[in-house]
Amino acid sequence: MNPNAYFRQFFTRNGTALGTFLLLSVGFWMFIMILLPQAFMIDFSFRHNLPPAEIGGPQDTYTTEHYEFMVYGSAAAEGEFNTVDLGVFVRTLIAAFFVTLFDLAICYPIAYYLAHSASGGWARLMVLSLIVPFWVNEILRAFAFRIMFGSAGVINGFLMWLGVIDQPYDFIRENVALYAGLGYAFILLMIFPLYNAIESLDRNQIEAARDMGASWIRIHRRIVIPFAKPGISSGCTMVFMLSAGALAAPQILGGPSSLWFTQIIYQWFQTGNNWNRGSAYALILLASTIVFVLVMMKVFKVKLGEIAR
Amino acid sequence: MNSNTISRVFIMGFVLAFFAYLFGPLIIMSITAFNSSAFPRVMPWECFSIEWFDVLIQDDKLMLGLRNSLIIGAGVVLLAVPIGLAGALMLTQVSARLRPWYYTIVISPILIPGVVLGISTLVFWDRVGRMFNTGYESIFYDGIFLTILGQATFISAYSMLVFISRLQRFDPALEEAALDLGATNVQAFRKVLLPFLKPAMGSAAVLAFLASFENYNTTVFTIISESTLTTVLASKVRYGINPSISALAVIIVALTLVGAVFFEIAKRREDRAAKAAAQVAAGGRAQAARTYFAEPALMLFVLIFCAGLGTVYFAGTLGLDECKVAVKEEKKRRAAARIKERETLQMFQRAKPGQETGTGAVPPPQTGEAAKGTEGYQGIFAPGNLEGQVESDTGGEPAKGTEGYQNIFAPDNLEGQVGGDQEQKSTGQ
Amino acid sequence: MSADVELENVWIRFGDFVAAREVNITIEGGSFFSFLGPSGCGKTTLLRAVSGFLEPSEGRVKIGGQDMAGIGPNKRPTALIFQNLALFPLMTVWENIAFALEVKGVGKTERRKRAEELLDLIALPGQGDKMVHELSGGQKQRVAIARALAAEPQVLLLDEPLSALDLKLRQHMRTELRAIQQRVGITFIYITHDQGEALTMSDNVAVMSEGVIEQVTDGTSLYDHPETPFVASFVGENNLFRGRVTEADAQFTVVDTNVGPIRARTSTKASLSKGDSAFVFVRPESLKFTNGASADNTIKATVHTEEFEGQFWQVFLDVPGGDKRIKMSLVNDGRQLGHAPGAQVDLSFPAELAVALPEGPLAAE
Repeated sequence: MNPNAYFRQFFTRNGTALGTFLLLSVGFWMFIMILLPQAFMIDFSFRHNLPPAEIGGPQDTYTTEHYEFMVYGSAAAEGEFNTVDLGVFVRTLIAAFFVTLFDLAICYPIAYYLAHSASGGWARLMVLSLIVPFWVNEILRAFAFRIMFGSAGVINGFLMWLGVIDQPYDFIRENVALYAGLGYAFILLMIFPLYNAIESLDRNQIEAARDMGASWIRIHRRIVIPFAKPGISSGCTMVFMLSAGALAAPQILGGPSSLWFTQIIYQWFQTGNNWNRGSAYALILLASTIVFVLVMMKVFKVKLGEIAR
Repeated sequence: MNSNTISRVFIMGFVLAFFAYLFGPLIIMSITAFNSSAFPRVMPWECFSIEWFDVLIQDDKLMLGLRNSLIIGAGVVLLAVPIGLAGALMLTQVSARLRPWYYTIVISPILIPGVVLGISTLVFWDRVGRMFNTGYESIFYDGIFLTILGQATFISAYSMLVFISRLQRFDPALEEAALDLGATNVQAFRKVLLPFLKPAMGSAAVLAFLASFENYNTTVFTIISESTLTTVLASKVRYGINPSISALAVIIVALTLVGAVFFEIAKRREDRAAKAAAQVAAGGRAQAARTYFAEPALMLFVLIFCAGLGTVYFAGTLGLDECKVAVKEEKKRRAAARIKERETLQMFQRAKPGQETGTGAVPPPQTGEAAKGTEGYQGIFAPGNLEGQVESDTGGEPAKGTEGYQNIFAPDNLEGQVGGDQEQKSTGQ
Repeated sequence: MSADVELENVWIRFGDFVAAREVNITIEGGSFFSFLGPSGCGKTTLLRAVSGFLEPSEGRVKIGGQDMAGIGPNKRPTALIFQNLALFPLMTVWENIAFALEVKGVGKTERRKRAEELLDLIALPGQGDKMVHELSGGQKQRVAIARALAAEPQVLLLDEPLSALDLKLRQHMRTELRAIQQRVGITFIYITHDQGEALTMSDNVAVMSEGVIEQVTDGTSLYDHPETPFVASFVGENNLFRGRVTEADAQFTVVDTNVGPIRARTSTKASLSKGDSAFVFVRPESLKFTNGASADNTIKATVHTEEFEGQFWQVFLDVPGGDKRIKMSLVNDGRQLGHAPGAQVDLSFPAELAVALPEGPLAAE
């Protein structure tokens, strides 16, 4: 169908007013809010960091210096890798991966319990109480962990009272607080996809398997987990991406000697005053998350629509 | 005891531990809001107080941030709900060949890190502003305008998902029925589809507002020189913590709980009405009279809430001053005792110079200079210092004398230090 | 006012799939007309072509003599009652009924008045302020009819509207639908896979199979004078004997089958000549035990089982060389049958009650 006929049909279907509203809103969203800003950011990341007066001038040429900086550091340190930034980048991804695993490990039993073992009213109360912490501001959640894990916090107090340790342990410095806080922040995004997937599993399938003498482990491995695959991939993707892209929790809970990749991006913008380099770093983060999503789609054989729900 | 019971006990233990992880931090944070100690903590308990709520209300920065957050939240709702609606409707109309592309584009903001969305919005409108050659006072550099746009980018996708899931339950025969009865396309949309989508508009609006209200990652880039509640909170938490933030948390947790309870009651009532209707339809006798029966759970909840509030108010005002004085006395006495102990210890050490200095509990840092000299970098992060510093802030005068290096331990210095490292690296290389 | 509906050489294709093939039907104004066929035979597609939700790939749909090509569903003088009724769940009963008037811009008091009239017509007076979900299944049914009638259509189209109801209500609604049709006097076109519905309500029935109209006639003719093997096997029950024609004239045809030669009525439409493969159909109630009197046809069979159904005896019998067990129905006149399984019996039936048809596709069991 040629575009002209398509538009004519579109407008007869929706009427002029609604048709215009649909086209304008979706157009504004797709182009002005999503595509063009991303395109401009890509363009921006390939330009020199210039004072406003020189932008658009002869100095304003394309360059890959910001990407090179991420890998090699400054030109002065020839041949050396930028171990600081690369290290932070890799550590962020690895840490996010383990936060994801942690969430999956604690959420899977709970999701299964909610979906198949808890009775009606009780399950509903639990689902509701899962939502409550999620609507508390993420800064406040991080703050709560800072209080808990602080040297005068409840955990240190409890451990000292037990006599396990005789002086406060620095959970903040060791990033324990950060990982616990990150895991906490995204529990809901893991548990709901899992819960929805497991809940739709026909209970008879489990009973049939048990009837045939399958062990619990086998039932989960052969029946529940394959069935819940879309939920697992969706939950893992969301938790990984949000952990890797988190900023507030690392700022508040992160140990003083370890940075999160987003914090580096933040510093290029706020204190480093090099937006171009910040954009380049942001793009690297974006690219790595896109790769992660593609890998998840491939490994779990799910569609994008099943992940983002 | 058979294996079934054991596994049941194990499962219940796991569920309990899980919910302890979920609520423990919030409960402890809430408790700290009522401790008069200047550092948010449960132990040692000093005096029961609600003074931190006063501190909170008198915090102009926070109030300004709150105002901006409300404005931005309203703006995001007004932008994201119509866009999400249009996006969902468009999905049903776009040709089958283009649909996967379209869906990928509009769903992508959910998967793009919030930081990246904030940066791209900032960079894009900076360019647009420069294109029109406008100054920094123009709308393209207005933090609130940019934040609304940046947040709405992904919140529109959330609201679109809400509309899509509602649309999936829409029976297309209804629209056909309207057309068949002579309605035009626009009439069918306005009179049949739109009313059906109304509840989804409500939930999309609530979702959009909450998502906007608590957003940090995108906002922190787009807000520029303005502030929102979250950015103010973040800088407060990063540069020094005090229990007024706990007080804010108490308020937010309470509001969330009340919201959740009302949501649940509304849902139950709806379910019950639907069930009653189904009964009527099935030819059974209607028992709809109980629908408006006052919820005993709600009554109980309100009662407990009021009683709690009253107790908190009276307990927080009565006897607070006396208690504070007592605590101060106690602190003074303890500090004096500590100084004395240290003096004896030092005397002891001088007497036995060969002995290790580090015996017993970590010796509280001595003079400022000495601490810096001996412990250097590590000492700055030594556990307990943070707390010690805050204590001194509250006017624990005795401590001040001995801890002259307090600024080093201020939490913002940690940040400063880290930031400084980074800056050094970027400039030095 | 009622209008004729004419389908002229209508073809409907979806890609390679043909949903309707060369359909030619004239439906008389003011009549109750049914399309009867198994699910997937194309009857709903045909109905959507009449209501305007799709355009035929070829051919014309005329209502009241006017070609409907290019006229949308909201401009056609038809109203459709959907399979799931499609009542608007967020509107009250009267708002549902008055919807057609609302979109025409009729004032509220007028709408309300008209809705009350229609509520009286469907015997639900004073129920206008209820919500749709507060009604029972049969009441919803009637509201859907009232809503369609409010549009003052010349043709009312019904797409299996009774299929969701339980048996008793369905039988009751049949009578009621027929009564409403006679009261309002407009053309009803009814789609169903239930032959009971089609035969009891309709003036005329079109039997459809795989997009093709097999036969169009009134209910009794359809039962007594099927013109194709599909109709013979789809409408009611029938015993089938296969064979080859040995004699044929305008009145009777003799077919040599596995149970011997059968003399059967020659179908009015079909042309069979000597040597053709043919099907002979005999209804279970046409078979009788031979009582000594001479008959047109006599066959030998072995009793398999006898089932007592109160009003009837159903007897299942094996015939030599038959691929299927045959069935006979006897009215219970108080006598015990008492054939032991395996008993040899002779059955007879008159030639007028058997029909010979050319070989062709049968209805699925």
